[in-house]
Amino acid sequence: MIRFASLSRAAPALIAALAALAASPAVAQLAQRPFMVGGGEGGGGASGGLTGWLIEMQSQLTRLIAANVHALHSDPAAIWGLIGFGFAYGVFHAAGPGHGKAIIASYMMASDRALKRGIVLAFLAAMLQGTVAVALVGVAALIFNATATEMNAAADWLALASCSGVIAIGLWLTVTKGRALLAALRARFARRAALAAAPVYADAPWRQAADLGAAVAFRAGPPDGAAEAAADDPAACGHAHAPDPAALEADFSWRGAAATVLAAGSRPCSGAILVLVFALAQGLFAAGIGAVFAMSFGVALTTGALAFAAVFAKRVAMRMAAGDDSRIMLAARGVEFLAALLVVAFGLALLFVARSGA
Amino acid sequence: MNSETPARRPALALILAALLAFAPAVAAAHPHVWVTVRSKIGFADGKVVSVTHDWVFDEMYSSFATQGLAKPGELVTRDIFAPLARENAGGLAEIGYFTTLKIGGKTAEFGPVKDGDYWMEERPDHLVTFHVDLRLKTPTAPGQYFSLLVADPEYFIDFEFDDNDAIALDSAPSGCSASIAKPKPLEGQDQQKLTESFFTNLAPGTNFGFKMASRAIVACP
Repeated sequence: MIRFASLSRAAPALIAALAALAASPAVAQLAQRPFMVGGGEGGGGASGGLTGWLIEMQSQLTRLIAANVHALHSDPAAIWGLIGFGFAYGVFHAAGPGHGKAIIASYMMASDRALKRGIVLAFLAAMLQGTVAVALVGVAALIFNATATEMNAAADWLALASCSGVIAIGLWLTVTKGRALLAALRARFARRAALAAAPVYADAPWRQAADLGAAVAFRAGPPDGAAEAAADDPAACGHAHAPDPAALEADFSWRGAAATVLAAGSRPCSGAILVLVFALAQGLFAAGIGAVFAMSFGVALTTGALAFAAVFAKRVAMRMAAGDDSRIMLAARGVEFLAALLVVAFGLALLFVARSGA
Repeated sequence: MNSETPARRPALALILAALLAFAPAVAAAHPHVWVTVRSKIGFADGKVVSVTHDWVFDEMYSSFATQGLAKPGELVTRDIFAPLARENAGGLAEIGYFTTLKIGGKTAEFGPVKDGDYWMEERPDHLVTFHVDLRLKTPTAPGQYFSLLVADPEYFIDFEFDDNDAIALDSAPSGCSASIAKPKPLEGQDQQKLTESFFTNLAPGTNFGFKMASRAIVACP
């Protein structure tokens, strides 16, 4: 506990140090990649199999988008093709790195988020990402007639802000979830100790909690009613040392959610920037905006599915851990803590990719 | 009441959950920039001395690169492009010039690119060309054959050789000829490597850009 207390005190300093590191011009100038497009987005890694197919699909879609922008000069109906291909591009593209969906999924797992809220978060992050790209290109290219170099610099700053935000959220989650994990561990040991000390345990309070009600409280089920109702039920969590589900539900803050949306969505995607600049060069900026928001909807769809997968995986983990409440608690806290660490890892990985200029 | 077997299953579920969260991060994105490659391999005294590339960019990257640089209706000249060309050329060494020249099983090393070795310009069809002259540190005898690969290991850029005149040979010994070999389909082992990297690395697929690339083979019998 002492260690964690000092960690939480150290966290702001750590964040400040990271921010300073990220902001230092020496790091920013490190290894500028040739022919890069802002947004700090990496290329594809693997080829072949499913991922190879994804790559091929997206390459084709990019060409189709370009072709439809051209066609728009003579055929206004091409806008539908543009929007359709943009949407499909978003669906496929969201499966790639750098789109914050992994962050949303991990965040969903790390916090007791209801599915509906997760999908709202995913949707908002995707829309913000589209808006940021439109604003960036709109302001930089349309108003200031900025060059590629200047747009790259602006996009990099946004990406940097996004990465730092993700790392900060990850650290915050790690600290809070680390505490919860410790509490769950203590509860588990306490129960073991109680078992050893009292062979006759028919009336021990934890026995009641073995009732499924305890698990329900930690399933990210219906957003409102059920979880709170279960939390209100004193029988749901009889163990004195276990964290109170009501408190966990309370730790959902729209502030935390908004921070997640901001961090995950404030980095514009390279593909969107390219489509917008291309549309602008063709004198069809409005069509480019349409395509980018279609892309955002596609990204939201994939991210929403991932949020669902995250919640489902956690639910499965909890169900498998069915037993007494201290074990369920431990499983839940374990998943959450791991997911919190993942958020930090993602943030660092994104930062690394952005810094290496890929 | 609680057997120990189910206790192992949550661990499995935890791993599953972690993988689910990880998988999207490692799934491949795709190239954002497409380049058509024409390369000229220069010889002197029977040895390979240089590789000169002309890379033509796709129209999306071309509009991005030319954005804000010229008045409407005017093409971006080499002079106007000079700062962006310098920026791009400056990062080439770090990424291995996107060029792998293998002679006699050894990868040739290139000297640093200096001002004057490169330029960038907008063609009348509005596509942007990047030209760069790479000189081998040590002129090397071609042997019976050697290969040239132009690829981005990270596969952000998709380099493809031009369909018609991909490779030119300058002052080559008589009898030398060039041909293009399309990439081999991935072998079973590669697929396995792929799957492993999918689950173990945050940024997998280093070198997989190479596997996607065409290879030019120059034979000098």
